Amino acid sequence: MLTQVTGRPELAGVPGDTPLFGAGVGLDSLAGTLLLRQVKRRYGVDVAAEDLNLDSLQTLGTLAAFIAARI
Amino acid sequence: MIKCVIWDIDNTLLTGIYLESGADLPGADPELTGVLRELSGRGILSALASRNPPAAADYVQQLTGADFAAVECGWGSKADAIVRIADELSLAAEAIAFVDDDMLERAEVAAALPDVLVLTPEEAAEAPGWPEFSPAVITAEARRRSQLYAERRRRQAAANEFGGSRDAFLRHAGTRLTIAPAVPADLPRLHELSVRTHQLNSAGEPVTQAELARLLASPRDSVITVRLADDFGDDGLVGAAIMTGNGGSSGPDVRVPALVLVVTVPLIMMSCRALGRGALDALLAWLCRSAAADGAAELRVPCLVTERNVPMRLALAAAGLRAEADSVAPDGRAIFARPLTGELPALPDWVTVG
Repeated sequence: MLTQVTGRPELAGVPGDTPLFGAGVGLDSLAGTLLLRQVKRRYGVDVAAEDLNLDSLQTLGTLAAFIAARI
Repeated sequence: MIKCVIWDIDNTLLTGIYLESGADLPGADPELTGVLRELSGRGILSALASRNPPAAADYVQQLTGADFAAVECGWGSKADAIVRIADELSLAAEAIAFVDDDMLERAEVAAALPDVLVLTPEEAAEAPGWPEFSPAVITAEARRRSQLYAERRRRQAAANEFGGSRDAFLRHAGTRLTIAPAVPADLPRLHELSVRTHQLNSAGEPVTQAELARLLASPRDSVITVRLADDFGDDGLVGAAIMTGNGGSSGPDVRVPALVLVVTVPLIMMSCRALGRGALDALLAWLCRSAAADGAAELRVPCLVTERNVPMRLALAAAGLRAEADSVAPDGRAIFARPLTGELPALPDWVTVG
């Protein structure tokens, strides 16, 4: 999903603890919104509605854990 | 207000059917061509959704001289095409009008997308006289809007071909962001932004031009503008913020030294055209650094939490701002805050401070 919303195939192998917002992945508002929308469509989890500070978006690992706890 | 009209081609913008006409291609409907031009002059976009090969769109573009902000030429449902255009242009369904001569197409779209304004070609011919298509004040940015979206398509095509990171592309595209104090001439555009922005807007409601003028003149407040341009085009004034400084409470008491300076940002707004171009991140970074340079210990950004302004919340999170669950402003907005110590968000070198 990450490679889809950013259009960058090299992100397919990024480790789960890489920060999403930092220099590594550099997720911005646009890519982030698209990612959350994909998550909602595929898993039925509305991250934005349940996570005020979007802490779950710190890394792919935290996001996966957030989703897994709610499926 | 309608921000974009999506047009069908066959028997709507064209007087016949593109694929059935052989060598004798149909001409453009003169009345609707006039409407295209009139709406474009008012800052209202036009897009195409048609079951035709892409060549049909090129043909219509040539005939009418119109700049289409998006083109969906394919064989799927019109409703799906409209959703893709809405996503591409970051528009809500209620800002979209759809024109099609075919009654079944109109019915399908009306059922699937009840918020879209569905029109017959005859109604579209009269639409320029309707309030939904008549903004009260047409700013320079509005007039150029069609051209700006054409520039956007070219920029997007280049971005899709580019191999590296978003920031590398922004640098490659010659991105130039200018942050400067607002001047009275900016007021109409600032008011327009306040009314039109929803996804990248921290407040719940528009700010009147009178209130903006008052803030501009007020010594305790700063109104900051953001202008964006790159090699593909100049988007002009795309965003703004209001900063209010000094003290955690209102009421200036000069005898009490401001030991803990808090800078509050009652409003941040940005055109969603600027999404994906680092503008909001740069503005937030500048706000942090500017407040820190003034000696403030904390930056506070009250922000309405709705499903529409998730992009704003993402930018706040990326800039290190967090809201405590019980931290709520009198107007009901959550207060996102961060200390101004330690590492502040980076300001890219393509940002100029005026």
